[in-house]
Amino acid sequence: MTGQMNTSNSNIYLPRETEITAIRQETSDIKTFVLKFKDAAYGDAFTYRPGQFVEFSVFGEGEATFCISNSPTRKTIECSAKKMGMVTQAMHELNVGDTVGLRGPYGNGFPVEDLKGKHLLFVSGGIGLAPLRSLINYCLDNRDDYLDITIVNGARTSKDLVYRDEYKVWEKAPGTKVHLTVDCREEDWVCMVGVVPKALEEIKPTCNGSVAIVCGPPIMIRFTIPVLEKMGFCPESIITTLEMKMKCGLGKCGRCNIGNHYICKDGPVFNYAKLKELHYEL
Amino acid sequence: MKKTVKKEALIALIENLMKDHEVVSPVETAGKGVFYRKIDKAKDVYLGPAFAVEPVKKFFLHPSEWICGCNKEEGTASPCPVPADDKKRVIFGVRPCEARGLVLLDKIFAPDDPAGYQDTSYIDNRSRSVIVGLACSVPDRTCFCVSLDGSPVETRGMDAVLFDMGDNFIVEILTEKGKSILGSLPGTIDAGSEKALEAAKEKTKKLVVKTVKAPDSLDASFKSDYWKKVSLSCLSCGVCTYLCPTCHCFDLVEEERKKLRCYDGCAFPDFTLETSGENPRPTKKERYRQRVFHKFDYFKKNFGENLCVGCGRCIRFCPVKIDISEVAAGAPIK
Amino acid sequence: MIEEIRQKAKELLAASKVDMVIGYRRSGDGVSTVPAFIDSAQDVDSLVWDQNCVYNLANYLREFPGKKIGVVAKGCDARAIVVLLQENQLERENLFIIGVECGVTDISEKCAACPRTVSAICDILIKEKGRKSGAPGNEKDAYAAVEALEARRAEERLGLWREEFSRCIRCYACRQVCPMCYCPKCVADQTMPAWFSKATSLEGNFAWNVTRAFHLAGRCVDCGECERACPVGIPLRDLNKKLEKEAKELYKYEAGSSVEAKPLFASYDKDDPKDFIK
Repeated sequence: MTGQMNTSNSNIYLPRETEITAIRQETSDIKTFVLKFKDAAYGDAFTYRPGQFVEFSVFGEGEATFCISNSPTRKTIECSAKKMGMVTQAMHELNVGDTVGLRGPYGNGFPVEDLKGKHLLFVSGGIGLAPLRSLINYCLDNRDDYLDITIVNGARTSKDLVYRDEYKVWEKAPGTKVHLTVDCREEDWVCMVGVVPKALEEIKPTCNGSVAIVCGPPIMIRFTIPVLEKMGFCPESIITTLEMKMKCGLGKCGRCNIGNHYICKDGPVFNYAKLKELHYEL
Repeated sequence: MKKTVKKEALIALIENLMKDHEVVSPVETAGKGVFYRKIDKAKDVYLGPAFAVEPVKKFFLHPSEWICGCNKEEGTASPCPVPADDKKRVIFGVRPCEARGLVLLDKIFAPDDPAGYQDTSYIDNRSRSVIVGLACSVPDRTCFCVSLDGSPVETRGMDAVLFDMGDNFIVEILTEKGKSILGSLPGTIDAGSEKALEAAKEKTKKLVVKTVKAPDSLDASFKSDYWKKVSLSCLSCGVCTYLCPTCHCFDLVEEERKKLRCYDGCAFPDFTLETSGENPRPTKKERYRQRVFHKFDYFKKNFGENLCVGCGRCIRFCPVKIDISEVAAGAPIK
Repeated sequence: MIEEIRQKAKELLAASKVDMVIGYRRSGDGVSTVPAFIDSAQDVDSLVWDQNCVYNLANYLREFPGKKIGVVAKGCDARAIVVLLQENQLERENLFIIGVECGVTDISEKCAACPRTVSAICDILIKEKGRKSGAPGNEKDAYAAVEALEARRAEERLGLWREEFSRCIRCYACRQVCPMCYCPKCVADQTMPAWFSKATSLEGNFAWNVTRAFHLAGRCVDCGECERACPVGIPLRDLNKKLEKEAKELYKYEAGSSVEAKPLFASYDKDDPKDFIK
């Protein structure tokens, strides 16, 4: 079964030992960790869908939730972490070769099958690109299944852009456009200026046969969705992946629900129509 | 299978059980109330009318429990399981509402769906325990089990049940597990006692006077200011959730190289507070609404039943007497 | 008394002198009371006053910053308001304190040893009819329980508290019901670092309950709400009472007696006793 490990008869809270094989500094406070399960057989059997997430353990500190930011079509498992709290601060102290824990994958992931034959508009802000990167690379690796791909990615400043090495690769892919924007004008910056919703209004992407996939800070999502709706995207064709405090990842610990849906188990990917039904407030 | 058993015979059986079982039972603690305890003297078993403060839930979902180890030595780390206690356990005196609470918790921690996440610690605790219930004879005025599809004399979730008939107990064996523990008790039941039992059951059911008329769905009230009004007096403590036989929210933290699972509750602001400082449930309104919706709306949508068994603990022990039955029934759904 | 309370509340709300009156109303069971938050003069008649008005309503005052609040305050509630004012948690001009005298009708079990039945601070004092104003309330020795504990050997006391704390379920009702427990991030909730175990182990429970007691030294006004709220019956008041006694004996300090007084832990005098520092 793709994207879900059968966990019966084993302790569902037990993380698997995982080695850090590489660390990339994305921005001053964001690092990407490349990971490999120590148990090779387990690693080979480990599959996931774009948009699924894992619980990452720094032993002695605790767990934190991260989406897997690279595509299952690529060889490694990658997680990107912004230095924020107890666990992520400890993560930023880790070195290549260190052992951490991983359990998952959890959640529903993006509906990669339903997206087939559609134009895809990716809208992201800051580290919100992480889950979209997984889907973008998945779509590029299955390029024939999807129509035009438009990527609108923003950050506060050019220094806060993540996965910078990949923009050129994406641009070169057939039928793919990348628009970068930063909040304020900067010297030597040749791309767009202005917050993501404003950039969208300038780009005017088509809504016909398109699905918008949105991820970013709450404030960005709050202002982006109305812009998309105005452009003609119906709530069903606006997809977002939510973040809320999670602990178990298994739909048991009770904190990450919106209505009767647990983000960890029934999400984190929802379309906007569903969110409205669940009284989710942007 | 039913039989009439002398109270002394039951105590003698418990004495004998203690040789190779862990025996848990309500115990009276002077001036503090009744508490479930692992007992070492059969005479400590309390099977009177007073309810235990904490529900039996705590023997299945422990208030705090080491769920796995996380050893960190010289830069390398490896998780290791914490060995579980596998001794056979018999729990006496479990009330119908609490036993039914376990049946509801099973849906979360021991889901029927084999692909669902089975919580092995909970399941181990369930499978090593035999539940000998005690039907209620004197419901409290805060009890409202009957209006929630329950009854003070029902047996769901039990392996055997005791009915207090004054000088004797009537023991009813319900499962093979129950038989393995109480099957050896001598005795039969005569038609007169059988009749007396049925009459006593009917009488007890009528003693549960409190009702909750919770609407089928609370959905239409979600955005109402009602939730602000009813949550104004809430103190944001953990009494209602910790003492609830069905509340099961928990926290995971790492301490002493081990991962600890401990009770947590939706009334605490930190429950949903994110590292960024964002809180999707920023005020008492959203937090208290979550509790009522989880009980009377969300769980019903997911599992077809209310996540409340009407035990009345949250009403009895709320420091400011918030009454969830009144709150749920009063939700404006029109 | 209740007519006078309602009258005052009505007057305050009708004249918009306050935005809300916090008092007591009858609960659904017809016997006990619940805190009432009344923002319209026409709802004033739901206010009640009797021996079931146990809650310390001072606990709610910090939740309405910028609003003008009228509050029904017993002697202990008023002392809590005094401490909150001393600690700059409330604005005096935003409060209208409806002091109520209690004591003749014994409010509840928790009031058995309370000698201070009159509001230390109030804008109006509503008196029990036929009662001499300012007369002391209960004469029972307030420190009897503490002295009985002090008379026991240290090991015995330790054993006793181990027994009591072993029942603690860490529901934090004691903290939440306490007007003085208002730290924005309680030491028990801190994670960086985590000061003591979240486990309901004896060590964690000891650390929590003792830390809380010490943080209330010179601040606890002995309203008894923590002990009343504790679902497992831990005699928390004995702990607080002991520290209250220490503050009284060492520094002649009584919490909640004067808004002008400097809080105990915010004052220093070179003549302060030092013999307990080792």
